[in-house]
Amino acid sequence: MNLSFADIGAGALRAALPLAIWGIGAAAYAAAKRDGRALASARWAALITFLLVALAALAMVGALVTHDFSIVYVARNNALETPLFFTVISLWAALEGSILLWTTILAGATAYVAWRGTLALPRLATTALAVLFAMCAFFLVLVTTPAADPFIRGEIVPPNGNGPNPLLQNHPLMALHPPLLYLGYVLFSVPFAYAIASLILGEGGDRWLVATRRYALVSWGLLGVGIVAGSWWSYAVLGWGGYWAWDPVENAAIMPWLVATAYLHSVMVEEKRRLLRSWNLSLVIATFALTILGTFLTRSGIVNSVHAFSLSAIGPLLLGYLVAIVVLSVGLLLWRMPMLRDSGSVGAPLSREAVFLFQNVVFVAATLTVLLGTLYPLIAEALGGAQLSIGRPYFDRVEVPLALALLFLMGIGPQLPWHGASRATLERQFTAPIVAAAGGALLAVATELGGAFAVLTYALAAFVAATVVQEFARGVRARRALHGESAGTAFANLLRRNGRRYGGYVVHLGIVLVAVAVATSQSKTIEAEQTVTRGQTFEVAGYTVAFNGLRDVAEPQRDLIVADLTITRGGSEQQLHPAILFFPNATQAVGSPGIAAGPGDDVYTILAAYDTAAHSWATIRVLVIPLVSWLWLGGAVVGLGAVIAALPQPKRREVAHPLIEAPATVGD
Amino acid sequence: MGARRVLLIAVLAAAVLIGFVAVQNLQVSAVYYLTPTEARDRAVAAGTAARLGGQVEAGSLRYEPQTRELRFVISDGTSRITVIGTGAPPSLLREGAGAVVEGTFAADGTFRATQVIAKHDEVYAPPPPGATPSHRPP
Repeated sequence: MNLSFADIGAGALRAALPLAIWGIGAAAYAAAKRDGRALASARWAALITFLLVALAALAMVGALVTHDFSIVYVARNNALETPLFFTVISLWAALEGSILLWTTILAGATAYVAWRGTLALPRLATTALAVLFAMCAFFLVLVTTPAADPFIRGEIVPPNGNGPNPLLQNHPLMALHPPLLYLGYVLFSVPFAYAIASLILGEGGDRWLVATRRYALVSWGLLGVGIVAGSWWSYAVLGWGGYWAWDPVENAAIMPWLVATAYLHSVMVEEKRRLLRSWNLSLVIATFALTILGTFLTRSGIVNSVHAFSLSAIGPLLLGYLVAIVVLSVGLLLWRMPMLRDSGSVGAPLSREAVFLFQNVVFVAATLTVLLGTLYPLIAEALGGAQLSIGRPYFDRVEVPLALALLFLMGIGPQLPWHGASRATLERQFTAPIVAAAGGALLAVATELGGAFAVLTYALAAFVAATVVQEFARGVRARRALHGESAGTAFANLLRRNGRRYGGYVVHLGIVLVAVAVATSQSKTIEAEQTVTRGQTFEVAGYTVAFNGLRDVAEPQRDLIVADLTITRGGSEQQLHPAILFFPNATQAVGSPGIAAGPGDDVYTILAAYDTAAHSWATIRVLVIPLVSWLWLGGAVVGLGAVIAALPQPKRREVAHPLIEAPATVGD
Repeated sequence: MGARRVLLIAVLAAAVLIGFVAVQNLQVSAVYYLTPTEARDRAVAAGTAARLGGQVEAGSLRYEPQTRELRFVISDGTSRITVIGTGAPPSLLREGAGAVVEGTFAADGTFRATQVIAKHDEVYAPPPPGATPSHRPP
């Protein structure tokens, strides 16, 4: 018998669907009756479901690598000339493959909860397992029906395929950015499933929250790094010199991240003060619902423009799923509301819990305003029939002040103790940061940074950075005094033994880098455009740009027109090659910028136009963008901080001084 | 109870302020997405920002290297509008193919493009020539 990859993949998915449905029942029965045999059955169902879905994903990779154009997805997203690397990552180059990847990650998380989660909290985790199985079943329905079946065969087998979308076979970051986002999106299913399980079981406590803290943190970290990787991709591929356009696709990714950030902070209020229980459940539900809403908005093609995209059959199904999730979750939450009373209330306005409350309000406001800007085109079309999009001014004017407010709260929150602060504490905590803020503002003015917002960003960034440095310095000093450790060991031990707190500070430092990068690059970019003939040079912001001519390059999967440029400043010289790419099956040509990245300025060059007849002239656009590379660095630091905070802490051996490991005023 | 009330009022005030700023800016930031026919039918005022979608009419694309002025005609089969751009990369346009440009309408009826919009998630499908745009209000 001769099995093709399509048979294997389609068969595996069709076998996985009934298993997942069985798993819902088995896990629910195991939770309700505390039945060990049913739990064992659910565990095996989870593991085998995962293995089958993973097999299907591998079969798709196999079909892509062997160029099996009898499969419609392969014919549309692959060609004989596509390089192997981009062939493999074409698994997530379009809708069906992306949903398959999503299903694989979800099945993996389900299997992990089935085998590990149920050990610690049998009843809660088993109920959550039933919820996860239900989600798996929904996604398996998508990939086994025409909505998103990746293995559908075409009526005729074309001799060659279309190849991936030109913009998606252009940069290695494509290998990184979509899977990171999907991992972030999907891993948030676990906290959501536990929250729902807790509501179903009527548990009043915060066991669900403690059990899923790490999932939430990892999901949040992956989503954050994925968003930065996406903006880097946009910067390196789209050739407009920017990295964030408030495009619906970007908004869909940032919204759950914003709510998840609020959640990661308000969780601490629940742990320390037993407050905000129903609020935390709402944030988890909102984050999860936003991941599905984002997928719906970007995948149904409803927002981007009805003019331009064909509607996918997956839209109504995702919308139904979203509505079901929201209705069921909110219904459960309202039903259990009487049990979720907080014991106590938020105290003084100058306490850490009050700052967290404000921070939560601002994060939710930022999310709602992004949501409003993203959905407004739909609302306007439904009301007046006009098609419109909401441009950058809306988002910049609304979100920038909110971001600055968050930066401010990020500076004061960790410095305030729970319950309230005395005057002495305030002086002790804020003297150095305020001096630093003044220094930051002066630096911004001295470097002629334009605009009040940019100056304010520098001041607040310096303020936050100073609080982080102060925290580390005090922590190191305390450890040195108590344990006689060297400065380096003390620093490492802070991160290792109190990773959640100090990892959090590392994240804050990463956000400071991002804020400085955005403020500087947005206000000080210098742009010039000129038409030059071979050998001509021109100056931009102290850089000399020399045009050395145009080249035609033929590659198997595409043709290129490459402009050779030499960028010099002082003694250093760099060769850049902005290009225009032509793919045989694309209607639009694709620009590819040439970028000289540096710790200070990036020199970003674009081939805007060229002499098609004789290759004698070219119009070159040059942008000198300061500190934009700090943005990618900031994203990496945020990721590093999340890793430090998520790593399990070593078992404590030192029982002698458990109370004085950190400065007493700022308890963790 | 006093502190709690202060907090509640501050939170509410912040929410109202943010909502007000958002709605204010929403109206000024709306960019209409139009086909040439719609632009004509609605007699869009000069200076209005818009996105214009259609096809680049064959033989209409002209680029002047020294002034970097770009001119082409965008058409939906029924109406045509002349687009003039500086700083819009003409290399991304192809005659006969679909295009979406962002910019403003000028008093003389031409469209001053500032940007050619690159679509990055799906293959762009322009309206077929001669087709009446399906989304037109009845």
